[in-house]
Amino acid sequence: MANNIPEDLQEKAAIMQEFGRLRAAGQPVPAELQAKHVNATNDRYATGPEAGERIPDFSLPDQEGVLRSVANLSGPNGLLLVFYRSADW
Amino acid sequence: MLEGKGLRIAAVSYDSRETLQHFAEKYRIQIPLLSDRDSAVIRGFGILNTNIAPGLRAHGVPHPVEYLIAPDGLVIRKYFVPNYQHRVTASSVAFREFGVVSEEAPTVTLRSGALTIVLGLSTARAFAGQEISFFAKFALEPGWHVYGAPLPEGCTTTSVMFDGPAIVRQSFDLPPAAPMRVNFLEETVPVYSGSFQGLGSLLLKFPLDAGKIMLAGRVSFQQCSDTVCEPPEAIEFELPLILEPFMVAIRSK
Repeated sequence: MANNIPEDLQEKAAIMQEFGRLRAAGQPVPAELQAKHVNATNDRYATGPEAGERIPDFSLPDQEGVLRSVANLSGPNGLLLVFYRSADW
Repeated sequence: MLEGKGLRIAAVSYDSRETLQHFAEKYRIQIPLLSDRDSAVIRGFGILNTNIAPGLRAHGVPHPVEYLIAPDGLVIRKYFVPNYQHRVTASSVAFREFGVVSEEAPTVTLRSGALTIVLGLSTARAFAGQEISFFAKFALEPGWHVYGAPLPEGCTTTSVMFDGPAIVRQSFDLPPAAPMRVNFLEETVPVYSGSFQGLGSLLLKFPLDAGKIMLAGRVSFQQCSDTVCEPPEAIEFELPLILEPFMVAIRSK
């Protein structure tokens, strides 16, 4: 890791890398490491706009490459917008 | 399930369009999967996970928040479980917002004395780590009541409690109970009579093996009429839930 990364991120990175190494090797993850990994990942979590607030405007390509915005994603009564970590790993 | 209520679903991640296309084809996903390659929209929402150092594969992922958004862009509600392994299910959203229950979702009917209870899950199928909902519909014969909360010592509050290793967190809420003067207690206590419904949530453990499991629990209550009080009761029940196999990610590298 580069030297300009804050210390707490380096500590978290060490936990995440050890967790990832065991998972990739198909080895069991000790409960203590599992708990550390959850804590490191969820530290200072943020949940964005509250009920009643407006979401930021955006447009993003979907899996077919078509640019989508809230206006063309939404049904007549609205949209359930799900943010998730990854479909890649 | 949500479509019937005029809602659509879309999902955002930092994956490439190609990865999302493979993923959608593999699992026959028809909802839009949006590619936020540089995490700009994730940052714009203020939900970037800042715990992950540059250079790590997960650098750029969001905290997994779900928003129910009105067509004009205002947030109606948001859903978040503060543990990255856990998610709220769409079936749970459909149930809580619109009272929609999947047709195949399991129910069980319990009877005792003047009381009939129908318990059901919001869905028949779920993934490990998801939060699902359940309901409990109570119906009492005229002249009978059960207790709400808070209660004087010695009385049993109406409650539903699940147990077993598959559930890591649960809640159950009933509407406010009506105060009633009970002569033999010489007190005014909160009671339910007639028909009423409670709503609960179950957070499933992660990981769990795929397959059918039985979610066991018990309903506790004490039924009383104006003149007699039955002893406190606890009726046990089981509801089946099918755990889906974990969706294996597309490894693009």
